[in-house]
Parts: sequence; structure tokens; C-alpha cells
Amino acid sequence: MSSTTSTAPAKHKSISYAKWGYLFIAPFFIIYITCSLIPLLSTFYNSLFENYMDGLKQIGPNFVGLDNFVKLFTPRSDGRLEILNYTINTMVMWIMGAVPQVVFALLLAVIFTSERLKIKGQTFFKTVIYMPNLIMASAFAMLFFQIFSSVGPINQIITASGGDVFMFFDKEWSTRSIIAFINFLMWFGNTTILLMAGIMGIDQSLFEAASIDGATSTQVFFKITIPLLMPIIIYVVITALIGGLQMFDVPQIITAGSGRPNNTTKTLVMALNSYIGTSKNYGMAGAVSFVLFVITGILSFIVFRSTEPKKEGKKK
Amino acid sequence: MKKRIMAVLLAAASVVAVAGCSNSGSGSSNSTTTTAATAAADNGGAAAADTTAGGGDAAPAAAGSDEGNVFNIYAWNEEFKGFFEKYMPGYDAGAATLNGVPVKWTINPSDDGVYQDKLDAALQAQASASADDKVDMFLAEADYILKYTDSDYTMDISQIGLSQVDTEYTYTVQAASDSNGKIKGVSFQCCPSALIYRRSIAKEVIGSDDPADVQAALDSWDKYDAVAAKAKDLGYYMHASFAETYRVFSNNATSAWVTNGELTIPDVVDKWTEQAKSYYDKGYILDTLPGVWDDGKTAQMFADGKSMCFFGPAWYFNFCMGNAQDPDKGCYGDWAICEGPQAHFWGGTWILAATGTDNPSLVADVMRAFTENEEVCENLVKNEGQFSNNKTVNAKFANDPDFGNAFLGNQNDTAVFSEMTDNIVWANATIYDQLCNEKYQEFIKDYINGTVDKNTALANFYGYINEKYPAVVTP
Repeated sequence: MSSTTSTAPAKHKSISYAKWGYLFIAPFFIIYITCSLIPLLSTFYNSLFENYMDGLKQIGPNFVGLDNFVKLFTPRSDGRLEILNYTINTMVMWIMGAVPQVVFALLLAVIFTSERLKIKGQTFFKTVIYMPNLIMASAFAMLFFQIFSSVGPINQIITASGGDVFMFFDKEWSTRSIIAFINFLMWFGNTTILLMAGIMGIDQSLFEAASIDGATSTQVFFKITIPLLMPIIIYVVITALIGGLQMFDVPQIITAGSGRPNNTTKTLVMALNSYIGTSKNYGMAGAVSFVLFVITGILSFIVFRSTEPKKEGKKK
Repeated sequence: MKKRIMAVLLAAASVVAVAGCSNSGSGSSNSTTTTAATAAADNGGAAAADTTAGGGDAAPAAAGSDEGNVFNIYAWNEEFKGFFEKYMPGYDAGAATLNGVPVKWTINPSDDGVYQDKLDAALQAQASASADDKVDMFLAEADYILKYTDSDYTMDISQIGLSQVDTEYTYTVQAASDSNGKIKGVSFQCCPSALIYRRSIAKEVIGSDDPADVQAALDSWDKYDAVAAKAKDLGYYMHASFAETYRVFSNNATSAWVTNGELTIPDVVDKWTEQAKSYYDKGYILDTLPGVWDDGKTAQMFADGKSMCFFGPAWYFNFCMGNAQDPDKGCYGDWAICEGPQAHFWGGTWILAATGTDNPSLVADVMRAFTENEEVCENLVKNEGQFSNNKTVNAKFANDPDFGNAFLGNQNDTAVFSEMTDNIVWANATIYDQLCNEKYQEFIKDYINGTVDKNTALANFYGYINEKYPAVVTP
């Protein structure tokens, strides 16, 4: 900043452009504050109150300090801490869907952008792989619920070939796998498109140089594509993480809100919905949201740190 | 460019295909959310109000003649809507108007408490809603009617010019009364619940399909257990769903789900749990453990089904046994009813007037039509197989030797139900009953199929109740 210029009115040469800078970034901050920061703070504020409906009667709001958080972190009678259970459920189902999602998308993106392969009908394939994303998650969940139900087509095939009916939604791992698979199916197309954009942004001459030097496809992939694609991969992972932590519609519909079997498919947002849905329990719902926010923050930080290039240590 | 068009076309085609599948799926699982706004043409509105005032039933309408322009009804399924559209005097099916006032239905499924949640939101917004958006009339079920009758959101029926009628069954009036004894609504059906059995299977298992013989063979739980063992030996299931007998036990409860804010599992519900567990272990019921409403269970109603008994009132076999009535795969006429091991009731639909309604005289007309109007009640019994809430009408059919329900092999179901009504007890209702009943069945399933032990299953249930009802203290 040139603070000296402002004290010298005689000189008009140097103008401060800073104010224009601030003006141009202002819309972001205004929107961030009104649409993100204030709701965040008011959620926390709400979590400090006892405030719900008992039937049609309003209870509260009464200030109760951190009681709602204490309640949330009190294990139930058999020693299980449900909030931890819900967090684990969410993370497990997210990882089961997100890992194949990124790997698969990366593979497709490399294939589609490969100068050597020159795949025909790219637009067609891109449309097809993106399509599941256009269908509502709830429709997807209902469809899969029917397909895997005790009288659905999968079980008809099983019984027709002499097997016993398999109750997919009464077993922990089959229910989780179906939920993860739906999420994978819905989102891998979107990830593919993002990664393709990233790969196409890499200078083609690098690939050419590598192939002239005799690099194999594997070497090109690991030494050129992956390192240069890192910023996009981080973006993809973080957005997928945030989306994954908010997993709700698919498990909610597939298990009719119960998180069966044995609460192994109940996610954090399903718990949030339980609190807010019937009793309008803003206190507990606020507490769950705040916990979710903290978890998201911590995980995003970890992802960011672990993928940061190591040389950056000696910063300018 | 051609490729792009091709891609878009393909995309559209598969979206339509998938959407189509999921639609039919949701339809069969009974959970579609339809907001059936019946083409409420605005233009007829003003004129409509006049006709109502003039052409009304000459009722002692306490409410003035200023009727609103839209008659808003909240319901959780299409059952009453169907009866209303067919039999309500003054209803014009073409224009979807009642006495000239457009009727607007808002239908939300009751699964997971959705209907109550939506209705509560609408009632709480009632004061500030514009006249045409105010809830005028809504339906409530036995499991949660208390929540509404015991609140200021419903009107005493005397306020809209009705009084208790002797022809109504006592329990339907008790259920519609608030804790001070004020009557807040009427029921258009009386719901004693019977044992519904497949005649052909009963012939093989019990040796007769005559209701009297079957009743004699199944009039206690001990006998029921014995017959269940026999049915299994012959390759049949005693009943399909593990929760089939739930209501038989739960609606004979001697204690409430919640007393003074504390939840306790009623003894009878615990007894049911033992029965369900032992029936599953012994193979008396389907080992896939479908719930009462699941496709796995309703598939058993087809002719090739292997289940002998179902439990339910008149609305159940008329409205929920579509598979049995299927012209190709069903077994119409192969059914009959008897009281079974224990008298009980199940469900029932009460009509309540929302406080703040701008169509009070229309609400009164509907209430009167479906309880006092003998022609309407007769149609319900005769054409719809309902058991009406009008003793005179029911007695007429019960005593008619020629009357019979073709679905039940021409058995006179009205006569059977008439005898059962005296044994119905309305007691121990709480505002939390719907989710307690529904979710208990769901969470205890993990125990019945051996996924977890009983305490864990109960802890999961308590956890759910804690989340849904912060005011309720669980063990």
C-alpha cells in the first residue's frame, strides 16, 4: 500500500485501486455472510435451547447451555454412542461409494482424453455416464428398493435358479452396499466430466514429450497426469466428502427412515431429520448440525493437508 | 451433430424408462405422495358460495352463510375420497364441487408420520393462511386422533350444529372425544377387526371352511398355535407377515405406550413379540418377515399364496386386499371371516372439523351424510362392503338373509361384525401411538430374525422414539 500518496494531495499520479478490488469481491462476502455464516451461527445459537413441539404443544425455547450436546454425546443404555455410530455409518457408506467413484472416473477420464485411443462417439458416452445424475436420488432409491425386495426381480432370478430368497435389506452389508452403489452410480459421471476437464487442461506437449522419450502409458499416468491433476482431484474429493457426509435421501428412502438393520445405515443427516421432522426439535437438530459442521471441517482440513505437495514447506 | 441428437434421444428414452419403473414401484408400495388438487376452477367460486347458503341441507347451521371458495380436505389415502366422490349428496363429480364449492384434497402418506407432520404444519399456519388455503376438514386415524381432539385445532361438533347420534357405536364417539368429554368428530366406519381366512386352505387344515367351525377351531391363542403347527405340516403358513397379529394384541392393551411422559412396552406387545419370534423360529410364517404392508405379504393374497389367515376390519379386505381380488391371479370368493382368538379393532377414519374453517356448514353436511344419512350408509355397506357407523343400517343388513359379500363367498360380514362391536374397548390411547406401533414392529424385526439380541433391538427403538419425541422418557 502506498500510504504516502494519500498525504500528498498535490500528486494525482498514483491512484489506489484497492477499493475496486474490495468492491469486486464484496458480493462474495455479502452472500457468504448472509447465506452461510449467519445460518451457521444461528444454528449454533439454536443448539443452546430446549425448543420443540410435544404433539401440538410448543415447549420452550428455554436456554439450556450445552445440554443438547451433552445429550448427544451420552451413550445409551447398552453403551453404544449413537452419534459416533451414525458418523461411522456415514463414513463407511461414503468410502464404499466414493473410492470406486474416483477410481472409475479417473480411468474413464484418461480413456476419453487419450490422444492415442481417440474413442469414437465420445459425446454419446459422456451423455450416458452423466445421465444417472439427472434422475432424482429418491427415484433411484425406490427403484433399487423394488429391484432388491423380497419379491423383486433379483430375488425372482435367485428363486428361479433354485436358491432361497435373500433379504438384501435385512443384512447390514448388502443394505450398505446397495446404498453405496446408488451413490456411486449417480456421481461417477459427474466426477468423470470434472476430471476430463482437468486432464484436457494439461499441456499436450508434456504428453508428447513423454512419449518421445519412450515413457510407457503407466509412467505417463503416474508421473504426468496424476501430479498435474492433483488440484482437480482434491476439489473432487472435498466436494464428494461434503456431499457424502450429507448423505440422506438414498438411505432414508431405502430403509423408510429407520436405518435398519440395527441402525447400521442411519446417517448423521437422517438423525437430523428425525429430530426436526416430527417434533421440530431445533435444539437437538442444531447440535447435530454443528457436530456435522465440525466433522466436515476437520476432514476437509485433513484432505487438504495430506494432498498438499510436500515441497511447499519452505514458503515464500 | 447427428450423434449429439442421437445421444439426447437415447438419454431421454432411458430417463423415461427409469422414471416409469420407479413410478410403478412407488405405486405398488403404497407411498406415493399425491396432492390431488381437484381442478378447482376459480370462476365458479363466488356463485358457489351463494348456492351453498341457499341450497344447503336446511341444517341448523350455526355458522353464517359466508362459505369459503375452496373446501380443503386433508387425508392420508384415497379411501374416503372415493366414497365421498361417489355418495356425497350435492357433490358434482364432473366439476369436482360440493354444493358448488370446489373440493381440494391434500393427500400425504402416513408412513413414518408424514401425514401428521404435514397436517400439523398446515394447522399451525391456519390462523395466517388465506381463506382459500385454510384446512376445513381432515381425517384422523385411531393411532393419533387424540392429538387433534385434545387440542384447540379441532372444533366441538356442537359448534357446527351436530350432536351425538344414538346410531353411532360408542367407541367411535369415545375415540373422537377430548379429555373433557367434548365430541370433536365423527367416524364414518366402525372397525371391528376379524380373522380373514382362505376357505380352500382352511378346508385342508381345519377340515371345514364354515365360519362357525373355523371359529371353534381358532377361538383361543392355544388353539391358534395348534392349528399353526398343523398348517406348517401341510405346507402352509398360518399367517404371512410376522406383524399380522400385532393389532390383535396391541388393541387389547391394558396399559398405554406412554404414561406421565414415560414409555413402557405394554405387556400385550411383549406377548406379541414372543409369538412372532416363536412363529418365525418354528417356520409358521414367511421367513422373509415382510411387514403388514409389504409386497412380500400382499403377494400371499394371490391364488397361489400359502397363507391361511389375515387380520383386518372391513376396510382391510375391501381396500387393501386388491391382490385377492385380482381377476387373473386372485382368489375372489375364496375367503371368509370369523372373530378369531381375540376381539379387537383396527384403525378407523374419523372426520374432524379444523378450527378456523371457512366452510363449517359443508363440514357439517359431510359429517351428517356419512353417519346419519341412511341412504349413504346403505350404499357404503351394499356397494363398498363397509361396516358403517350406523347401527340401524347395519342391523338391517345383518338381519337380511339374502345379504352377503361376494368376496367372502356370500358370507354376511355385517352380521359377524355386528356381534363383535360390543367387545371393542377404547382405552389407553396416547398421541404417540402411531410411531410407537409402527416402529416397534420395524425395530423388533432385527431381534426376530436373529440379527441382534432383544435388548439391542429395544435400545434402537427407544433411540428412535427419543429422536422423534423429546418429551418422552424411555427406559
